[in-house]
Amino acid sequence: MNAAADEPGCGNDCQEALTRLEAYLDGELPNTDVEDLREHLTACYPCTDRASFEDQLRSIVRRDCIEEAPSGLIARIEATLSDG
Amino acid sequence: MSDARSPSRPMPDGTGGVDAPHHEVLSDAERRRRFAEEALPFVDRLYSAALRYTRDPSDAEDLVQETMVKAYRSFHQYRPGTNLRAWLYRVLHTTYISMYRKAQRRPQESLQEQIDDFSFYDEVARTGGSAEREVLESLTADEVKQAMADLPETFRMAVYLADVEGFAYKEIAEIMDTPVGTVMSRLHRGRKALQKALAGYARSRGLISGDLDSSDGAEADT
Repeated sequence: MNAAADEPGCGNDCQEALTRLEAYLDGELPNTDVEDLREHLTACYPCTDRASFEDQLRSIVRRDCIEEAPSGLIARIEATLSDG
Repeated sequence: MSDARSPSRPMPDGTGGVDAPHHEVLSDAERRRRFAEEALPFVDRLYSAALRYTRDPSDAEDLVQETMVKAYRSFHQYRPGTNLRAWLYRVLHTTYISMYRKAQRRPQESLQEQIDDFSFYDEVARTGGSAEREVLESLTADEVKQAMADLPETFRMAVYLADVEGFAYKEIAEIMDTPVGTVMSRLHRGRKALQKALAGYARSRGLISGDLDSSDGAEADT
């Protein structure tokens, strides 16, 4: 009879968790809130799934936006230092 | 059994210790050597950032070069033991603004109002499936770069510094010379806009269905 409470889907807990998710993934959530959020994530599959989606998306952005400098750039910079 | 003579730690009389602060004025040769050793290794990553900032390979090279010249000139202001990486990005940021933004004199772009409600995850979930990973993995590097490039400048910088470089809010605030609250809001809205663009690519490939702007009122649930 308490099935809804045992199986949170989109309740207040989730709303609150989602407002903190971004800071949590950024490593900016205060320690006291981190434990609460982790507890919620452990119990709530939809929120865990969302968190892992957001996290994976960041990894993709990181992977695709890192590039090597053109060869020779470091040498050109070093050369300007010697002139100074 | 601990070794009191560990080389990394100062002796009881205060001498030694590799981390001991030193305040001597650097000779030119020493300054050059230390700059080459400590700062030059960041050139690759600074170039990555410069490319996101300028969106043009040749401008990015100029920007990094000018950044390093400036950083070298004021290297004496940098205090050993503080965050050299964040300091270099700060120099890059201010150099970018003086080199490019001044020239453009265009009004700050902004993002559309309703962007806050957008969620890529919800879009994928709404389409009904277990295909979240598939959708993410289908995005190509070119699409991700394009979506990033299409973000308004200040949002693009904040997202880049956080998601790619992993800087903390406070560091980004210092790099961009803006309050932490502004950083958080740019990050939040910038990421939403990035997600919306990426969702557009997934939609064009048929991996997400429906119209992009149908979130209001169009409950697919029956």
